[in-house]
Amino acid sequence: MKKAGIIFKKEIKEVIRNKNIWLPILIITAIFSIAIPLFIILGSSSLLSDEDTMNFINKMFGHVDDPIRVLIGFALNQLLIFLLILPAMVPSLIAPSSVIMEKENNTLEPLLATPVKTSELLLGKSLTAWVPAFFISTISFIILTIVVDIAAFIKLDYAPLPNIEWIIVAFLLSPILSFILTMASIIVSSRSTDIRSAQGIGAVIIFPIYLIIGLQLAGLFLLNITYLLIGCLVLLAICPLVLKLAVKVFDRENILTRWKMKG
Amino acid sequence: MLMITIENLTKKFGDNTAVEDISFDINESEIFGFLGPNGAGKTTTIRILSTLISPTSGKITIDNRDSLSNGEYVRSITGLLTESPGMYEKISAYDNLEYYSSFYNIPVSTRKNNIEKYLKMFDLWDRKDDLAGTYSKGMKQKLALSRALIHEPKILLLDEPTAGLDPESAHMVRIFIESLKKERTTVFLCTHNLEEASNLSDRVCIIKKRIIRIATLSELQNNDKNKRAEIVFTDDADRYIRLLEGTFGVKVIHTEKNIAILVIEKPEISNPLIIKKLIDSGAGILYFNEVKATLEEIYLDLIKDENTK
Repeated sequence: MKKAGIIFKKEIKEVIRNKNIWLPILIITAIFSIAIPLFIILGSSSLLSDEDTMNFINKMFGHVDDPIRVLIGFALNQLLIFLLILPAMVPSLIAPSSVIMEKENNTLEPLLATPVKTSELLLGKSLTAWVPAFFISTISFIILTIVVDIAAFIKLDYAPLPNIEWIIVAFLLSPILSFILTMASIIVSSRSTDIRSAQGIGAVIIFPIYLIIGLQLAGLFLLNITYLLIGCLVLLAICPLVLKLAVKVFDRENILTRWKMKG
Repeated sequence: MLMITIENLTKKFGDNTAVEDISFDINESEIFGFLGPNGAGKTTTIRILSTLISPTSGKITIDNRDSLSNGEYVRSITGLLTESPGMYEKISAYDNLEYYSSFYNIPVSTRKNNIEKYLKMFDLWDRKDDLAGTYSKGMKQKLALSRALIHEPKILLLDEPTAGLDPESAHMVRIFIESLKKERTTVFLCTHNLEEASNLSDRVCIIKKRIIRIATLSELQNNDKNKRAEIVFTDDADRYIRLLEGTFGVKVIHTEKNIAILVIEKPEISNPLIIKKLIDSGAGILYFNEVKATLEEIYLDLIKDENTK
């Protein structure tokens, strides 16, 4: 596994140098971890003065003693699902390029000609996508927790985060989701002939996340501990399947002869 | 000692047969020229030898081990220069070599020494810290060759090693390949440069999906079809050469001014007849020389014969 570490070390340096990967991630982190929660908490009082908001709270939760806390709790739950975008997006940005760029630059064949095992190559490439996804998500959750708690404490004299839902999402659901999407991106890469088509398909892979966001926003369901744990179990069951498929697809001959070589 | 043995190797990609039933042996420290037109199966064979792809059928033994079940070992003793060698363009030449060499089980100090040795050998040491992307095509080719050599492999698989190099660098690379014999390195040389193959190879294999011929250059030249003579006349060659039509085993392949080149299958029978005919007709003969066919001429003849089959 030392060789997987060598691959990871070299690749992660390239990821860090690549602004095209970091810029969209930074923007999304800033929006969902800082801008939106500040807007929700700082604007909660004015939201409550709106009659429609009060009607909505009464309809959703019945009579409540502290509507502002209920409103913030509801808004943070909505935000929770948005934070799954990062662990889903990062692998789909990194994994296809880390594999296809090798092919486009004609560096893959010399690499495969070294004594590196295919499993080590797959692991090294996967870690390059999974570790930043986990790192970014965790940082994003920490920033959001700090921002929300400071703002809420100043304004409302209480700190709503972290709660159990947040912990499940940050340390269970996000890493599992990142793993699945990393493997899916590698599978897609192995069938793609260029970086654009791989990233295009990669964007489609994260569609289920948008679907869940849409369903929650439409009020069709609200993420709670039960849903989150069921989600984790379902995704955990998918993990070995995508891993098996990725190992099958990512073999030397497949990636050399199926992908178009640049002459 | 045999270093590479290929037995009845066939590789198919779907319905397309890339190589069919090829067999040959390569000895330790031999330079083996592997020649053929585009699409003949050269790159496929090199990829199979470096265990990048598996054969559809057949057996490959490398350094006395079955290559299919010892892929990691085979890759650890082979160095591969691909036809279009790529480098990580955003890291330095030194870091490129450092990265690739770290996959081989060699001590760090040896690794560093080898990087320095090959970068200096190919005149790249002064620019070792420059990004590989800033290198010219020729420099990249030399860097790729350094990469193939960095672990001092027992077997070197070279696909067009001098492509893109200026004449001076190409000459340097050829001298280097020749020098590998002394270090007992086995070289599998794929090239379209037939002069290069002719000068470097101990034996050549001409392939077009199937093997057409394997032989040393002198064996190829001594083939009946390749025995040639050059006659230099005192005046126009065409005037006399017509007299030789129908002479046993003689074929005129080229005339220019006062020179004629003939293919003579049985010189011991035909040459006296030719000389007699020419002298009887009053031809003025300045010289009658044996001419060695070049590898290019032999190659083109063999490929032409193969195409007409």
